[in-house]
Amino acid sequence: MSKNAITALAGIVVALLAGLAILWAQGYPALPSYAALFSYSLFSKFAIVSTLNKATPLVLTGLSAAVGFGSNCVNLGQPGQFLIGAMAVAAFGIACDLPTPVMIPLAIMVALAAGALWAGIAAGLRRRFNMDEFITTLMLNFIADYFTLYLISGPMWDRTTYSPMTKMTNPGSWLPMWDGLSAAFVVSCVAFVITWVIWDRSKLGYEWRVMGQNSAFARVGGCRNEANFTRAMLLSGALAGLAGGLMIMGGMQHRFVKGMGANYAWDGVMIAIVAANGMVPTGLYALFFAAIQTGAMGMELETAVPSEFALVLQAIIVLFVVASRESTRLLINRWAAKLRARAAAGGAQDIGKGEGGERRASGH
Amino acid sequence: MAQKVLLCVLFDILEVPSHLDDHFIEMRSLIKVYPPDTLALDRVDLTIKEGEIHSLIGENGAGKSTLMKVLYGMIPASSGEISFRGRRVRYASPREAVATGIGMVHQEFMLVPSYTIYENVILGAEPVGRLGALRNAEARRRVQSLIDRYGLNLNIDDRVCDTSVGAQQKVEILKLLYRDVDVLIMDEPTAVLTPQETGELFRRLRDLNAAGKTIIFISHKLDEVLELSDTITVMRRGRHVATWENRGLGKADLARAMVGRDVVFSVEKPPACCGDVVFEARDLSYVDAGGRRRLDGVSFTVRRGEIVGIAGVEGNGQFELVQLVTGLAPVQSGQVKICGRDVTRAPVIERRKLMCYVPQDRKASGSAQKMSLTDNSIMTHHRLNRRIESGWRALLNPAKCRRFAQNLVESFGVLAPNVDTPISSLSGGNQQKVVVGREFLFDADFVLLDQPTRGVDVGSVEFIQREIIRKRGSIEGATGDVGADATVTATATAAAGCLLISADLDELFNLADRILVMHRGRIVADLAPPDTTREEVGEYMLGAREPQPGPWGGAQAGEGACAR
Repeated sequence: MSKNAITALAGIVVALLAGLAILWAQGYPALPSYAALFSYSLFSKFAIVSTLNKATPLVLTGLSAAVGFGSNCVNLGQPGQFLIGAMAVAAFGIACDLPTPVMIPLAIMVALAAGALWAGIAAGLRRRFNMDEFITTLMLNFIADYFTLYLISGPMWDRTTYSPMTKMTNPGSWLPMWDGLSAAFVVSCVAFVITWVIWDRSKLGYEWRVMGQNSAFARVGGCRNEANFTRAMLLSGALAGLAGGLMIMGGMQHRFVKGMGANYAWDGVMIAIVAANGMVPTGLYALFFAAIQTGAMGMELETAVPSEFALVLQAIIVLFVVASRESTRLLINRWAAKLRARAAAGGAQDIGKGEGGERRASGH
Repeated sequence: MAQKVLLCVLFDILEVPSHLDDHFIEMRSLIKVYPPDTLALDRVDLTIKEGEIHSLIGENGAGKSTLMKVLYGMIPASSGEISFRGRRVRYASPREAVATGIGMVHQEFMLVPSYTIYENVILGAEPVGRLGALRNAEARRRVQSLIDRYGLNLNIDDRVCDTSVGAQQKVEILKLLYRDVDVLIMDEPTAVLTPQETGELFRRLRDLNAAGKTIIFISHKLDEVLELSDTITVMRRGRHVATWENRGLGKADLARAMVGRDVVFSVEKPPACCGDVVFEARDLSYVDAGGRRRLDGVSFTVRRGEIVGIAGVEGNGQFELVQLVTGLAPVQSGQVKICGRDVTRAPVIERRKLMCYVPQDRKASGSAQKMSLTDNSIMTHHRLNRRIESGWRALLNPAKCRRFAQNLVESFGVLAPNVDTPISSLSGGNQQKVVVGREFLFDADFVLLDQPTRGVDVGSVEFIQREIIRKRGSIEGATGDVGADATVTATATAAAGCLLISADLDELFNLADRILVMHRGRIVADLAPPDTTREEVGEYMLGAREPQPGPWGGAQAGEGACAR
């Protein structure tokens, strides 16, 4: 475990250095840019709150991808599940007007259920028609994308506005804010803890993890892989759906706006890959990526480095961390092998004699 | 003849004495380290004379195959040198080795099943004329003449998939002969053969040897080595231990050199005492997706306290039988009963409450290689063993799981630094002990063992076989002649009925109280080891004998054998 942490840290440090080199090569003030990056993401109360708000959906989409990939369900439908979750909460929030203590738990349920449903379609297609979820989840993304676009520009369009968006949800479904920190972050923390318990502590999670590593072993051991596949897909979808729902419930807008969701879903996929599908690493990387994305805005303000640099930096980190995981191991192993061979050759004098007596030469 | 003359001319040119070369192949202080630090070859020196049959013996992991792969250019050595015909060589690929005259037949054949024998032989060395046209006629003549010359008894137009394993091996040899090799390396060629086929192979190898080919024979079967070779080299743990001429050597000499201590050749086994029926297969049939009948009316019973062995050439229905018994494939017709319960339609987990199962391939289905020892030891226990769960039934208790794994490691003598290391870092034998230990910790009355000691070192084989006999136990006081030892084993564990599927006849003769032989999806014989021979079992395996007339359709099958 700690060895993995060290390789990951090394990867991050090297990636940050590479980012520095890129900034420098582009003629930007490299060090001040980095200083701005971190001061706007970590070194003030406002900065930390912004980072945590940013991390809220990333944690959830990251967990969604990690649960999927870790149990060998290739769920690439996070964008669709995210949008459907958001749309379901928007519709629910517009249609129902109940007191907050009832409304919020219900809205969370709706978000979870909608995401699970969208992933469940793919799971059903897999089980009934043996269609690869890798394809179906991707296709369902397009359906979700255009379906929600149709809704916000047609039946659910708020006619008082000039661009496609729904009406505002009723205030009962709004999550409170404390000094700028949305309660959505608390919800996602709770989701994280529950997912971690299921994944790392429960029998079900154990079966999922084994299925992700070797499904034949799980099957022989008596695990019901088909049912487990569906369950993992449902949880994965529910988490992505919740991420979408929280975007409506938290924040300021409280409505489904065209283009919401942005890159959250794909960032989640990326985070899960960097975190090698571990739950705790997924949480940590989500925070880290949120910090970079938040800090990039500040960096743009101070040193005119475009905030898109965050994307570059993220990409470099992914490459370095993922690459270093395998390649450092290979390099270290090869190096160890070389040392061992040299040691064995050097030890010829002292050990080699021991068994020489047994040799009755055949060819010498 | 022409070749011989050519050879003499060649020797004259090179000023090599024309008698056979004593330093034909020389390997000097070869070292091979597999990353990160597995020392597979430790300063190995070996000389092979021209025209001899040189056997290389040693346990699994002794480095025999590695040494030959280095010679054959499949893997590079870390250091050391090889010379062939007095010239230093370092092959970058097997192709280069074959081009200079060294060829190797691997344990797994590398043939295209849907091609004919002729096509397989010329594949990669096609005789091509102008415009890339195949010059078949000439090549066919050459292949045919090789078959005739060495008495290989193959029909060159047969498809490889329609031929027996023994024939496929001959095709592999033929491929090398076609490429004109002088040295044939055979990597455990008899592992896949029946006794009859082994005899045939040895005759062919002797013919080849008489025709001047040098043969390097890798094996761990001592009888075969003593029967066939001129010279025997023993390896142990990557070291060259000894090279002996095969004169007046005995099995015990070789075994001692191989293992480094005296070896008991058969595990001691108290007599079996059968109790009630714990397993019953009735009229099982299975047709695979391709429409081939894999199982054809298989019926037998296993009783408490006996080990029933299933012998057979691989692919004669053993795989399907296991699938049906474990519930991995649906039963199409027939019935499976474990401990009196009809489990024909029961899911895997329901059956696992009544049986334990050591799968054939520990990497494919016996473990998850990247996961920790703990995660690998609690499989199935996580559902059936209340002692590793936490207060809340849906959750596992990590500390208890680790303790469970620790207990398994200790009681089955697994060599591992701790229970958190991935199982892949353990040796094959230790991995297998984890798998066997995990299964044997179930308190089940029926034990299904599918090749439980395949690819495992001698020490672990001995250990695992002892555990199997312990699991079988013997019922206390059931018969008068049970010795003191038997009473001890009987109290150690409750007796279970074992079904042992093995391709290794030695293992079956060591362990089984009854041997059922499978051929083409049927059980063709029910034999008792003291009254039968390997040859008899071999004949049934090949279908060379008429199936025993027996009440195969009934549950009574083999009941009489139990008295022994």
